[in-house]
Amino acid sequence: MSALSPLSLLRLEFEELLIEEAWLLDTDQLETWLEQFTDDIHYWAPVRQNVGRGTEDIHQPHLLTHMDDDKLGLTLRVKRLRTGAAHAEEPPSRQRHFVSNVKILDAEDPNRIHVASNLLVFRSREGLEEHLFVAGRRDWWRREQGRWRLAERLIMLEHDMTRNITVFF
Amino acid sequence: MQNFAALVDLERKTVSPRVFVDEAVYRAEQTNIFTRCWLYVAHETQLLKPNDFLTTFMGEEPVVVVRDEDNQIRVFINSCRHRGSRVCRVDHGNTRLFVCPYHGWSYDSKGALRGVPQLDSAYHNELERADWGLIEVPRVEIFRGLVFANFDREAITLDEYLGDFRWYLDLVLNRSKNGMTCMPGVHRWQLGGNWKLAAEQFLGDNYHASALHRSMLMIGLGPTDGDFRGNSPWEKDFEVKCANGHGWINFDVPSPPMPPVQAAFFAQVREEAKHTLSPEQQKLVNMVQVGTVFPNFSIISFLGFTSVRVWHPAGTHKMNAWAYGLVEKDAPPEVAEIVRKTQVLTFSPSGIYEQDDGVVWQSAVDSMGGVVRRNYPLNYQQGAGHGRTMANKPGLIHPPSTEIGVFGFYEFWREVMTREPA
Repeated sequence: MSALSPLSLLRLEFEELLIEEAWLLDTDQLETWLEQFTDDIHYWAPVRQNVGRGTEDIHQPHLLTHMDDDKLGLTLRVKRLRTGAAHAEEPPSRQRHFVSNVKILDAEDPNRIHVASNLLVFRSREGLEEHLFVAGRRDWWRREQGRWRLAERLIMLEHDMTRNITVFF
Repeated sequence: MQNFAALVDLERKTVSPRVFVDEAVYRAEQTNIFTRCWLYVAHETQLLKPNDFLTTFMGEEPVVVVRDEDNQIRVFINSCRHRGSRVCRVDHGNTRLFVCPYHGWSYDSKGALRGVPQLDSAYHNELERADWGLIEVPRVEIFRGLVFANFDREAITLDEYLGDFRWYLDLVLNRSKNGMTCMPGVHRWQLGGNWKLAAEQFLGDNYHASALHRSMLMIGLGPTDGDFRGNSPWEKDFEVKCANGHGWINFDVPSPPMPPVQAAFFAQVREEAKHTLSPEQQKLVNMVQVGTVFPNFSIISFLGFTSVRVWHPAGTHKMNAWAYGLVEKDAPPEVAEIVRKTQVLTFSPSGIYEQDDGVVWQSAVDSMGGVVRRNYPLNYQQGAGHGRTMANKPGLIHPPSTEIGVFGFYEFWREVMTREPA
């Protein structure tokens, strides 16, 4: 029997965590989903640019972003979806989140883990539109009071042109 | 040839659904609207140095906007003269030569054809290179940093075209001493719905806010008194119909307080406005301001952010929204970040206002295109005949809500669509 390396175990731990998160999003448990964030969460999705090979800079100052939320922003988005008057999600779309390619990028500090993953989000809405969002994610998870909380999520949407974004990544 | 004039009923103030869903109308617009009107292509600050360029669209034509080596901004159709491939394949950058990837023809920043591989052995030096430069858009003019271009060599000047509407654009673009700069990046997203539905809403549809954006009131992010119409009709809360199909919405609804650093900066802007704007204009600085320049350029400014956008036509039932963020050149970095994030949260692909707009535009074209429904016109009668001219500001004025300005868009659309070719 070959034992899993500590890194593989850690990878499994985060894969489970991300699958659990996708479950919360697919089953519309958004209030529970909000609990996973640290109070200083930075959740952002920079616009992508078609530029020369190797010259794209998503950290450029003041670059526009598709989403750029702190905890208040994410909370407001969830609150709005609960009003019954958020017409882009009334009637609610059907969504599935698919997480894969989970990879530990940095585990030097055992309380602060950098994790990459790929994400597909399928959305079907009102008989008008079916859409697939494709994204890579770079997360920083932090251990707080014995549980992992998400402190930063960089969402790299791979679309040249997106659609209206009513989903979470 | 279809009778486009009959699609807009000037007496009854109605518009046929065919204006939005008819393929023949859409095709005719590409020539009659998009090659005759001034179209927004760039903000001057996106092209600071010689040979800086960016790519965008004028109607369906892909174009490259370049600051040439002599500092003149030029616009070219992004298509090689040899086999038509795109000569510029990135969003923006700086280059001395645009080299077509297909056969290697290359063009300089003035559009001149420079390099032709095998000019001697294949063309026997008989190719007249001067005849084969990039196709240049003949007119390029700038208003307060906004670069517009026009395919019509004979068009009236941009200043004449904007006319009185400049008075309103200045409320945002000229409120500060050093003007605005365009932040990097473009929000690009595809929306269902005809491009005109977006243009008309920004032009003068305040009416939709209390229904479509009711969720914003419910979470306490709308006007804090719960009313999108404001409390100062005619003076601070009004909509404007300007000539040539442009229109403006202005309102002074009570908004959530700005963070101190931002409030301090905009206090400074209001001081600067005393030197850049007229006394009547100064009364209107830093309100909620939304407008459209016919045909497809819109601006929205409130809570300190300013987004300009183009509703690129992409078929009867689709549009490609391209939105940019402007901020005062003198804004401290933390203020620029606040306004940028406010724009992203409210008016962007994920914007908690803007999300809902795309959905109704899509369902409009999906629901009114049937062979029966398209025979029943849409109602644009709201407020007709009740607009006033006022001594203290230009245009035809009416407090929110009204469709006087919106119908003006279609009056001008009708005029341009039926104009005889020059």
